[in-house]
Amino acid sequence: MSFLTAVPLPDAFETRTNATFEALMWALSRPGTVQDLPAPGSAGIAEALLDRECRAFCDDPALADRIATFGAALVPLPLADHCFLALDAGLDRLAQIAVGSALYPDTGATVVAQARFGTGQRLRLTGPGIETLAEIALDGIAPGFWALRAALCRYPAGFDLFLTCGAQVIGLPRSTTIEVL
Amino acid sequence: MAYVATRGGERAIEQSERLYRAELGQIDAARVAEIRHALPMLIDRVMGEASLYEPDLAALALAQAGGDLYEAVLLLRAWRTTQPRLTIAQPVLQDQLFTLRRISAAFKDIPGGQILGPSLDYAHRLLATGVLQGRPYVPAAVQPAATPAPARQPSLAAWQKAQGLVADPARADVAPDDIPDLTREPLLFPAARAHTLQSLARADTGGMLALGYSAMRGYGNAHPTVNELRLAEADVRVRHPGGTVFSAGRVKVSQAEVTSKGKSGLLELGFCATLGWNEVKVISGATLDLNAPGAAKGSPVEEEFFLYHTEPVEASGFCIHFKLPHYVTFQSSLDALRGAKAVPAPHEPEKVPA
Amino acid sequence: MTIATLTKPWEAMSYGFLDASAKRELRRKMLKAIAVPGCQMPYASREVPMARGWGTGGLQVTLTLLRPSSVVKVIDQGADDSVNAASIRSFLSKVSGARETWDTLEATILQSRHRIPEERLRADQVLVLQVPNPEPLRPVEPNMSVARQMHADADYGRLWLILYEQIVRSGRVMQGAAYPSLVNGRHVMTPSPIPRWDVPKLHMAQHLTFLSAGREKRLYAVPPFTRVEPLVFSDVPFQVEDHAALTCHRSGLTGYFMNEIPQGDGGSQFELSDSNLGIKAIRQAEGADARIGPTWYENGKTS
Repeated sequence: MSFLTAVPLPDAFETRTNATFEALMWALSRPGTVQDLPAPGSAGIAEALLDRECRAFCDDPALADRIATFGAALVPLPLADHCFLALDAGLDRLAQIAVGSALYPDTGATVVAQARFGTGQRLRLTGPGIETLAEIALDGIAPGFWALRAALCRYPAGFDLFLTCGAQVIGLPRSTTIEVL
Repeated sequence: MAYVATRGGERAIEQSERLYRAELGQIDAARVAEIRHALPMLIDRVMGEASLYEPDLAALALAQAGGDLYEAVLLLRAWRTTQPRLTIAQPVLQDQLFTLRRISAAFKDIPGGQILGPSLDYAHRLLATGVLQGRPYVPAAVQPAATPAPARQPSLAAWQKAQGLVADPARADVAPDDIPDLTREPLLFPAARAHTLQSLARADTGGMLALGYSAMRGYGNAHPTVNELRLAEADVRVRHPGGTVFSAGRVKVSQAEVTSKGKSGLLELGFCATLGWNEVKVISGATLDLNAPGAAKGSPVEEEFFLYHTEPVEASGFCIHFKLPHYVTFQSSLDALRGAKAVPAPHEPEKVPA
Repeated sequence: MTIATLTKPWEAMSYGFLDASAKRELRRKMLKAIAVPGCQMPYASREVPMARGWGTGGLQVTLTLLRPSSVVKVIDQGADDSVNAASIRSFLSKVSGARETWDTLEATILQSRHRIPEERLRADQVLVLQVPNPEPLRPVEPNMSVARQMHADADYGRLWLILYEQIVRSGRVMQGAAYPSLVNGRHVMTPSPIPRWDVPKLHMAQHLTFLSAGREKRLYAVPPFTRVEPLVFSDVPFQVEDHAALTCHRSGLTGYFMNEIPQGDGGSQFELSDSNLGIKAIRQAEGADARIGPTWYENGKTS
């Protein structure tokens, strides 16, 4: 290994995207737990995950412009592998989110949305990553969303959800069963 | 720490690598330049399998690997991985290639003419042993033809399409940037056409020959006729951020089209192209491509079978990985064996999930 | 878009070897793998400076996770100083500045071929298993497209049939390592060629496990607290290797997975497969300060 001379150092981009991914990884591994992102909002998540191989849908024009700089193509919702949306209204269109198939579950979309943690609708979570059960409270999500999610996510098809609240993130993979309390 | 006294893996691997490299001695720019100039066909083969067109790097990889082709290809592929993708070149069209050799076995003569170009096909394969006795071999000078062949040649398949002899499948117009890229996406089946051609382009020459040859001998349905074999140089045309398309240089390419009469009553075509000049590879690849439609699962001409098994880095790596210790899995099997009741040996080997 | 936005100042090597684009693809696929436990996710699998089949899949996952504060342990057959483990560990630290360790308790990331350490992994640790063949269905269906359809249909009948035939023929399941296991009640996975001894360590574990096959370009995951159930018949229970009563002739420890060393007199000696556990036990016996964490097996039984 004498061809490796100096140990490379991570730049700010590498450090930030690495930390963002680690937060997302633990969030999805332990559904319902709150993980800390290095920066608030969804743009950092897009930066850590998206590039020219991705197709993204985004209903926030400012964020859409940021996403375009990462190289991702901006496409209509049914074609997107990553969706940056508001979930507080407009549930009708959500039925168009790509859920993949039993043959290719990986083509189910990753959905990123904002919510307020610790207040509002209480949810009970069970499934992988949760020892027995977990309870969380979320505000800013339309009341019919959870029923719609249950109808769309026919495991192993489905979509995976990241909710941000400032610089915090909660992950809800399709494998989580959510009971509205 | 008595426990580790008999081990010492780190020192062992360091010294093992030194032993190998000591045999190769000093590697300098002169050695790399000599390899590049003396072995252009080998450089082409390595660049094709590495899918990285850079003769100096290919020569360096060969020097560093001491000529072990699989090691050289792995070195180049691993280097390629680290490079940013700046842009995507414009598609190369057959009739725009700067063609140096172009032949067809299907017709006595073809539009544009049979151009033999550089070839050893009709050479007598005799070793120039005089070289070893101090008499250098000096190649005779080439005598130019009275009229030079045109640099650009039409596509024979285009003529056949116009004649209604070959099926003209519907064109799928894809923007260059949207062409699926095998190095950025996994190969899945049924494969995207682009993935198939990319996979053939970077396949192991020897592996492709073995499977292509099996098809030629009769393990495929279609007997190939070389419709067109072409050695050429292609302009790498890229779009400047300012909008103009310009040529960033030329790369050597080979391509083969083989044909046979299909069930439809029309001619069917198999195609393969690669970076560098490598006739055996493109004829074998095109033969496999020709035979692939409708091939039985698990046959050597089935696309999944030949594409997975001719990937040089994967195949060679897995082959040599059997040198790694496997004593935990062996111990586990031994335990099952000892626990089994004595029964007559079955005729079939026991199948266990891998 | 300009060339400047697509490129960056030249550097000899990206941090962690993989470029940003490769890491983003790995991240996307690792998230999908967590979301559908045990389901094989296809990924591009870049070439790395190591031969395919030598841990390139595990390496790509580890390289994606590494940061300068990471502490990495790499084992092959349970041993930290096995030649390929030493090679991988040295590469990982040289391209990331991460600290190397042999101690399971110290590591933040553990990359392993064929073993899971005997000390329990914690919630803050990630286990990365190298996988030669990710497809548990290969013995019954070598064609990957057909096997994929069988997973989609949860069509595992032929796998059950093999196990049944073994019981009829040999009186027991003959599967050695890589015991096929049902994950989250839906996908059958191969846990990589770990011995049966190690399979229960994946069931409802504290830690996160990634399994990655670089050559075959598939990765999958077992998140914490996920059911991993070896395929068994209700009347023929799952059997781990019969090692519970064996004693390591070097460290004196009993009740862990052992390497068998044939002896000239026709018998065998045994030594701990988890080499650093053995080292720590010997150092403890010598009076040194070496902490051994809680283990999955106690007195040869899972606790």
